[in-house]
Amino acid sequence: MDSQSQYDVIVVGGGHAGTEAAHAAARMGAHTLLLTQSLDTIGQMSCNPAIGGIGKGHLVREIDAMGGVMGRAIDRAGIQFRVLNQRKGPAVRATRAQADRNLYRQAVRAILDEQPHLSLFQDTVDDLIVERGTVRGVVTGMGLALRATAVVLTVGTFLGGRIHIGDHNRRGGRAGDAPSIALAERLRALPLRVDRLKTGTPPRIDTASIDYRALTEQPGDSPAPYFSRWSRGDEHPRSVSCHITHTNPVTHEHIRKALHRSPMYSGEIEGVGPRYCPSIEDKVVRFADRDGHQIFLEPEGLDSREVYPNGISTSLPFDTQIAMVRSIDGLAGARITRPGYAIEYDYLDPRDLHPSLQSLHLPGLFLAGQINGTTGYEEAGAQGLLAGINAVAHGREMAPWVPARHEAYLGVLVDDLTTRGTSEPYRMFTSRAEYRLQLREDNADLRLMPVARDYGLIDEGDWQAFCAYRDAIDRERRRLEQTIIRPADLGDDHGATCLGKPLRREQSLMALLRRPEISYDDLAALSAAGEAAADPRVREQVTIAARYEGYLQRQAAQVEKQSRYEDRALPADLDYARVAGLSREVQEKLTHHRPATLGQAARIPGVTPAAVSLLLVHLQRGEQRQSA
Amino acid sequence: MPDGTICAIATPPGRGGIGVIRVSGEAAGDCLTGLAGRLPEPRTASLRTFRDADGEPLDQGLVLWFPGPDSFTGEDVAEFHGHGGPVVMDRLLRRLIELGASLAEPGEFSQRAFLNGRMDLTRAEAIADLIAAGSEAAASAAMRSLEGAFAHRIQDLVEQLTELRVHLESSIDFIDEPLDGLAIDRLADRIEAVGEAVRAAREAARSGQQLQEGARVVIAGAPNAGKSSLMNALLGRDAAIVTELAGTTRDVLDAHLHLDGLPVQVMDTAGLRTGADVVEAEGIRRAHQAMAEADHILLVVDDRNPDEDDGLGAAWPASAAALTRVYNKIDLTHRPPGVGDDGVAVSALTGAGLDGLKSHLRGGLGVRAGDEAVFTARRRHLQALDEAAAAIDEAVSAARAGHGEELVAESLRCAQDSLGQITGAVTTEDLLGRIFSTFCIGK
Repeated sequence: MDSQSQYDVIVVGGGHAGTEAAHAAARMGAHTLLLTQSLDTIGQMSCNPAIGGIGKGHLVREIDAMGGVMGRAIDRAGIQFRVLNQRKGPAVRATRAQADRNLYRQAVRAILDEQPHLSLFQDTVDDLIVERGTVRGVVTGMGLALRATAVVLTVGTFLGGRIHIGDHNRRGGRAGDAPSIALAERLRALPLRVDRLKTGTPPRIDTASIDYRALTEQPGDSPAPYFSRWSRGDEHPRSVSCHITHTNPVTHEHIRKALHRSPMYSGEIEGVGPRYCPSIEDKVVRFADRDGHQIFLEPEGLDSREVYPNGISTSLPFDTQIAMVRSIDGLAGARITRPGYAIEYDYLDPRDLHPSLQSLHLPGLFLAGQINGTTGYEEAGAQGLLAGINAVAHGREMAPWVPARHEAYLGVLVDDLTTRGTSEPYRMFTSRAEYRLQLREDNADLRLMPVARDYGLIDEGDWQAFCAYRDAIDRERRRLEQTIIRPADLGDDHGATCLGKPLRREQSLMALLRRPEISYDDLAALSAAGEAAADPRVREQVTIAARYEGYLQRQAAQVEKQSRYEDRALPADLDYARVAGLSREVQEKLTHHRPATLGQAARIPGVTPAAVSLLLVHLQRGEQRQSA
Repeated sequence: MPDGTICAIATPPGRGGIGVIRVSGEAAGDCLTGLAGRLPEPRTASLRTFRDADGEPLDQGLVLWFPGPDSFTGEDVAEFHGHGGPVVMDRLLRRLIELGASLAEPGEFSQRAFLNGRMDLTRAEAIADLIAAGSEAAASAAMRSLEGAFAHRIQDLVEQLTELRVHLESSIDFIDEPLDGLAIDRLADRIEAVGEAVRAAREAARSGQQLQEGARVVIAGAPNAGKSSLMNALLGRDAAIVTELAGTTRDVLDAHLHLDGLPVQVMDTAGLRTGADVVEAEGIRRAHQAMAEADHILLVVDDRNPDEDDGLGAAWPASAAALTRVYNKIDLTHRPPGVGDDGVAVSALTGAGLDGLKSHLRGGLGVRAGDEAVFTARRRHLQALDEAAAAIDEAVSAARAGHGEELVAESLRCAQDSLGQITGAVTTEDLLGRIFSTFCIGK
């Protein structure tokens, strides 16, 4: 790093958002600096050692389709891979992997080290350089003033972080790391809305102290799936199993007795925790009739002696943590290696962001990851990718990339955040996506690689390979639609074998494939069906296209209907008090939210279709005036 | 937002002999040919028979065709001039919706004209007023359409659907959690049951409540004053009776008639008296409620005992409705029929004085603002129920055919979106909140 340099993009933070942001910016050719307070913790998994899952695996595939880091890194670091929801349909199938923490960190670091145009530097950031209302760089802990066209802040839970273990609490950004207090104070002084959230982790356990004999083993899938379309298929390390155990009435009794010493219940913690990831004390209180809760014992790594007991995150006092853990089947002799803790931290209201993740109040400043109120590596990484791309676009005066809700989970994520905000740590679920049937893991590349190409994130060779794949799908679809099978083409016996029942009238191969009981392989076995596609991915795509056809067409029609005015921009300085006919309530909502587009305005709770019509009339009037 | 093809009744319903329906948008031509045969010469009226999907005549009237851009809205516009009764107008609208139109939002025709440059800038303010006022009227009309048993029924459907979605969505999103999810085959049965309930609500709404947008006239009075006879007399002599159905769970009888084209809902109530037994007391409670919601109360008095306790008790003067005393059984007392200072004298048995009562009532009810909006609101509600029923059918067949849960879930989401147009949307946040409070989620 050169202290005199002017950068295109400075990324603050080396977590999952920061690494994706820096990597994406550098891939676009931008002169990029990643600043982190510890180079050794780049790519650190500070919560559970796993990547992916339902909704989250979808995000990883999207990051990957855009050429990002996460998919490649987990393919090199995963020690147990599973495809979830296998018995359900393709839209909700998702990949999940247990990670070796060290291997993951090494993989991320290696990917960043290989990346041209990207420098890494270790220092804290104490301040932003703001000139004429625009962010122009950062001031580091040792006093360096580093200038850039855009700054991406990805400081996670480090802003004003406070760690709680029972009635003991202290400042901290993650167990073992210092929080960013100076920067938090600086941000609190800016016109940004700041609030508190809370999350927690379980105590870690020494694997040698666990008696696995009585526990249920959960092995990975074989063969293990891959996340990244860029992986060759030989990257996975060896595979290990997880184990399942449960809490019991004795465990719950230990917890109940210590509740008055829990910072959650003593009122010490003011931040809001996630409802879908409650602490064990929360579960025991809220679901008092349950006499057991599931725990997944997740290995922290191949060489690690530590186990992450997923399901008992807690901020109870340490003595209670010991008693509680030792009451659990298989853990009677457990030794805790690190205590569980709750962490409270600042987040900035994401409604103060444009959907490009640029601040509405401070041009040049982009925010990504937990600072925006999300939780999860995947949610953070996805935002980082978007912020990195748009930070470069900002400097080059290109239009930002704002994925729509029907294009990507990333679109759902940023639209939810910037339109509605969040009151608990935001996690992705497939039920958040109204266009869930189109937003699949299996077609992330088909949805997003053209965008990656437009923004210069992937190289020509990858693009050509993608085009060949896409063309192969189109060709196979046409072939299936045009190939007609007549009952006479196959004897009844033959038809019964391949199709399950005799064919009564002539049908296209595509029509046959629509039947849930007929697979692509069944069709390929018909001698009259012609030559089948060789690439299994092509077979999969045409099968899904057949199964989902009617639903996808209807969703496409809904998208078409909504998109007419979706992208109609609302001027940043629009005075809503002057829009004729708007009720005061709607005026206030719009003034408060400052939606970027008419589509976003329509999704703000309380904004009626009539209000949107009024906005449209108002905009039209402005245009007619200008042209008059 | 302007989009697609819209339709609306351009004349107030139930008043006068002609009702005009206007259609604007790219499917206007298809609507015209679907309802009334080939396209006529532009801007020339032609007499046509309007037919339903099976070719059965619905009405006869004039058709006008204004191809865009030389039309009021700048889009293709069709106009149908029919006979104006609410039942016929409703059928025509339903047919147009089948043909691809949707019900216009308040002010939408004018808005389109403006956006397409068919109206100058100075009109923008007026259009904004029209949209704002219209949407307010529509909101209150929707509330009115949703009063009473219908609303409860819809709420109950929404609740049942939400419960199914909570199970289905949590089984999709929280695979590692040991949820007591519903097996897909049992799920199909439960979805089917909700589908039946939606259909039943739709049929009830269509056959009876559909036309409740009329003024509410409640017939009340002491037992045996002749209330039911009066109701029958009012209805029996009126050619415009549309439906008559007894509520299965209540003892307030509804019927509909037209007074000079004004739609009126007449409700016969239990006799009012004190000291009744439990069952009768419930009937009286409902009678009081009906009176509280009435636009006009006809208090029937047996002319032989005009000074007997009329039983109004607590219901009066709590109700803001106008009240007319109707002295019945004048065939026995020989009082002359007609309108007097303190009421109207009639004989439900012979029909004497009934015409006078009707014109008195017609004058008393006057022209009520918002009737048109209520009519449209109810039409929208029926449309939403139709869509919900179709989506639920789709969910059932997907579940039975062994398609994935995600397809069943997709159809249920569509069904709930449709019902949400009546009751307000159930958002993803609402659904997630229900999931997290029902199940202990989270590793």
